[in-house]
Amino acid sequence: MMRRWAVGLLAMLALAGCSSGTAHPKTSELNDHTDTTYSGLGLTPPQPRPQFTLTDSAGRPFSFGTATAGKPTLLYFGYTHCPDVCPTTLADIAQALRAAPASVRQAARVVFVTTDVKRDTPAVLKAYLAQFDPGLPNPFVGLTGSQAQIDAAQVAAHVTLAEDEGQTHAAQVLLYGSDDYAHVAFLQSTDEAAQITHDLALVAK
Amino acid sequence: MQAVSRPPLSVLAAAVVLAAGLVGVVRGAMPQSTAASTAAATGTSMAGMEGMSPDMAIVVNGAYLRQPANRINAAAYFTVYNTTGTPDTLLSVASGAGAQTSVHTETAGGGMQTSDGGLAVPAHGSLALTPGRGHVMIEQLYGPLLAGQTVNLALTFAKAGQVLVTVPVIAVTAPAPSPAGTP
Repeated sequence: MMRRWAVGLLAMLALAGCSSGTAHPKTSELNDHTDTTYSGLGLTPPQPRPQFTLTDSAGRPFSFGTATAGKPTLLYFGYTHCPDVCPTTLADIAQALRAAPASVRQAARVVFVTTDVKRDTPAVLKAYLAQFDPGLPNPFVGLTGSQAQIDAAQVAAHVTLAEDEGQTHAAQVLLYGSDDYAHVAFLQSTDEAAQITHDLALVAK
Repeated sequence: MQAVSRPPLSVLAAAVVLAAGLVGVVRGAMPQSTAASTAAATGTSMAGMEGMSPDMAIVVNGAYLRQPANRINAAAYFTVYNTTGTPDTLLSVASGAGAQTSVHTETAGGGMQTSDGGLAVPAHGSLALTPGRGHVMIEQLYGPLLAGQTVNLALTFAKAGQVLVTVPVIAVTAPAPSPAGTP
């Protein structure tokens, strides 16, 4: 039996050693390489910062285009009951900001728009996002609204309309720069945080 | 990393875990191995979070569960390796953390669905559950799952039978561990 355990341990260590240790940031494999400036997915042509007004987690109107104008902004659509991609993506964003230079971190804004208007009330969004942004200079902004308003926001941001009561939603994180255009977007991967950190610094200038 | 720096203790702990697994002891009594709690607390290396079938036909590693920000449901991830020359199938997963546990995989349309027919683990191949591609969904949680805790999963395979996996809960904003062994 002892021998069996030893073999098992060796097998485990060998497998554990297979984790990739590549240098960051690794350019997204989905990047079409038309613009190698960015680590994320290059957007050609760039998308203008959208104008839409929703309700923030304090219940106040939040005009995205005006409130975030000129600031590097990460925009993401999701829902709080999402078990997998949404929390992983928000964790990636939080890590990316913590790794960014202080000036970039200070300037950056993060906006999460729910695709599940029935369950994600302002209070629910507030409690949810507060798990991700501790220690960051700018709290993550959570937005909700009527289904029509959410649909309009998705159209304005050029993302696919969510379906199944918001459960199937666009996966990309859009990054708008200080020039008010999104030149790049990100999809969840183990390199996402490093890609965002890299590209944030570029568009914050 | 702990396993490397403190070999005698970790090896002993791992041996105890394996021994428990080998003789098929108890489902609920496995979580508190020294290696598991140390790695979970540091939130760094997920190595050592393995489970395997008694004959080592199936080895599971890289397991983790992100502390749920919604307190409603949780997703666990891991990679299953089939060390044999015969294909196997992951039929179901049970957990004690919530009233309902199921395996969800990505649909062609980009959504998620419950995997009813089981998931293939090819001969000498692997099956990786990663964010966006698949996860074990635990719903109606019995209580909060906090970073540093562990969750026990019992995976049932068509050929290899039951494999127990101790899954560390990582912090809400911890980096997602890379799936081990993927290119």
